Amino acid sequence: MAGVEEGQLISCHTIEAWEEQMQKGNDSKKLIVVDFTASWCGPCRIMAPFLAELAKKLPSVTFLKVDVDELKSVAADWAVEAMPTFMFLKEGKIVDKVVGAQKEMVQQTIAKHMNTSTSAI
Amino acid sequence: MAESGFEGFEKRLELHFSGDDPITGLRQIEFETLEEILSAVQCTVVSSVGNHYFDSYVLSESSLFLYPTKIIIKTCGTTQLLKSIRPFLHYACTIGLSLTRCMYTRGNFIFPKSQPYPHTSFKEEVIYLEQTLPENLFYKKASVMPSKLSSHAWHVFSAVDQSYLIDNADDHDDQLFTLEVCMTELDCLLAKKFFRRHNDGKTSDAAGKEMTLMTGICDINPNAHICDFAFDPCGYSMNGLDGDRYSTIHVTPEDGFSYASFECVGSVYDDCRKISEVLKKVVQVFRPGTMSVSTTSTSHELWTRVATAVEQQGMKCRSCTVDEFPAAGSVVFQTFTSRRK
Repeated sequence: MAGVEEGQLISCHTIEAWEEQMQKGNDSKKLIVVDFTASWCGPCRIMAPFLAELAKKLPSVTFLKVDVDELKSVAADWAVEAMPTFMFLKEGKIVDKVVGAQKEMVQQTIAKHMNTSTSAI
Repeated sequence: MAESGFEGFEKRLELHFSGDDPITGLRQIEFETLEEILSAVQCTVVSSVGNHYFDSYVLSESSLFLYPTKIIIKTCGTTQLLKSIRPFLHYACTIGLSLTRCMYTRGNFIFPKSQPYPHTSFKEEVIYLEQTLPENLFYKKASVMPSKLSSHAWHVFSAVDQSYLIDNADDHDDQLFTLEVCMTELDCLLAKKFFRRHNDGKTSDAAGKEMTLMTGICDINPNAHICDFAFDPCGYSMNGLDGDRYSTIHVTPEDGFSYASFECVGSVYDDCRKISEVLKKVVQVFRPGTMSVSTTSTSHELWTRVATAVEQQGMKCRSCTVDEFPAAGSVVFQTFTSRRK
């Protein structure tokens, strides 16, 4: 598992790591952005460096990365069919979703939910 | 008709490969390499999304679909589509894939004099294709399929490797059909929906999503995931992903040279009501004055379903031309005009 300090994109390679991150998110009430990605998906590769950059800039937001082949059951539970899919979570609830390599949309959606968050900025 | 304007009619290229890595194949391509290839064509990626079967890219001029061993790219305007062949073949070679089949199609340009080399004439395009394609694509055919309308004709070039004819006799691709619809003289009120409101403050993705909903494009295939994009001040593109099948729509709404295209793939084993329903909705979204439908398929019944579905929407069939192409099967080119004409 990758490092878990703030300002990073955290890759969840196991169900345990994923559940641990979810639990942390529920407790902290922070905005969580989950990137559902796949190694064989071209548009996912376009977004990867952009998301890593965003994660660095926004330590108050938790960025998680889930490979849909590694965590098949999570991708299935969350009905992820197109990649990349970005889920925006607060206190365990999905508050928004962006599908596709849409940099502007991802940025705007983060801004929208950071502003309504008590722990933001 | 306007003397100059944006060329809506696309050029379309389909390339099939075979090789050692048919699982990920062409989807491995680095984005930088893809951008380089597209810059030779003179277009860029504006939006993209993938699923388990293929990657879809909305381009500044139309669309690209990358399957592990298949490329479908269509570009409009004054792009030089055929210039993508060499770099695509070069890239495919580096991952152990070789070309087995090529198909190039297009309609009649509205502004043919604006087209750059090698798109200055169909003859020039065919010469370029023959010079660019590898020698193993031995079985070749080029044909212009006419209609009774001077504005519509269908240009087809097909080339195939001998191994493709033998190995792919029972192939999955053999059951697929491709429908390419070109529409001109769109209904003015419907075309207006593809103009953005001045300073709408929306991203191109959000404005595109709104057009998809407002125009009824979302109902054409409700099962598809739609990747949409609205251009500024007007124009629209979308790619639809439904399992292993794509669909795509491009709209140039300006009066005088308005144009919309719809393309989709299906299986000859699909319920025939499905394709009728799709065509009905497409006609309702645009209400074109003139429309051409090209059906590429190994089935000989599909085109009659197409004609019936379009005629039920108040259009009249003006011509029907049939031609056979190696590996592609038959191409049926039909034209329709609205009864109001």
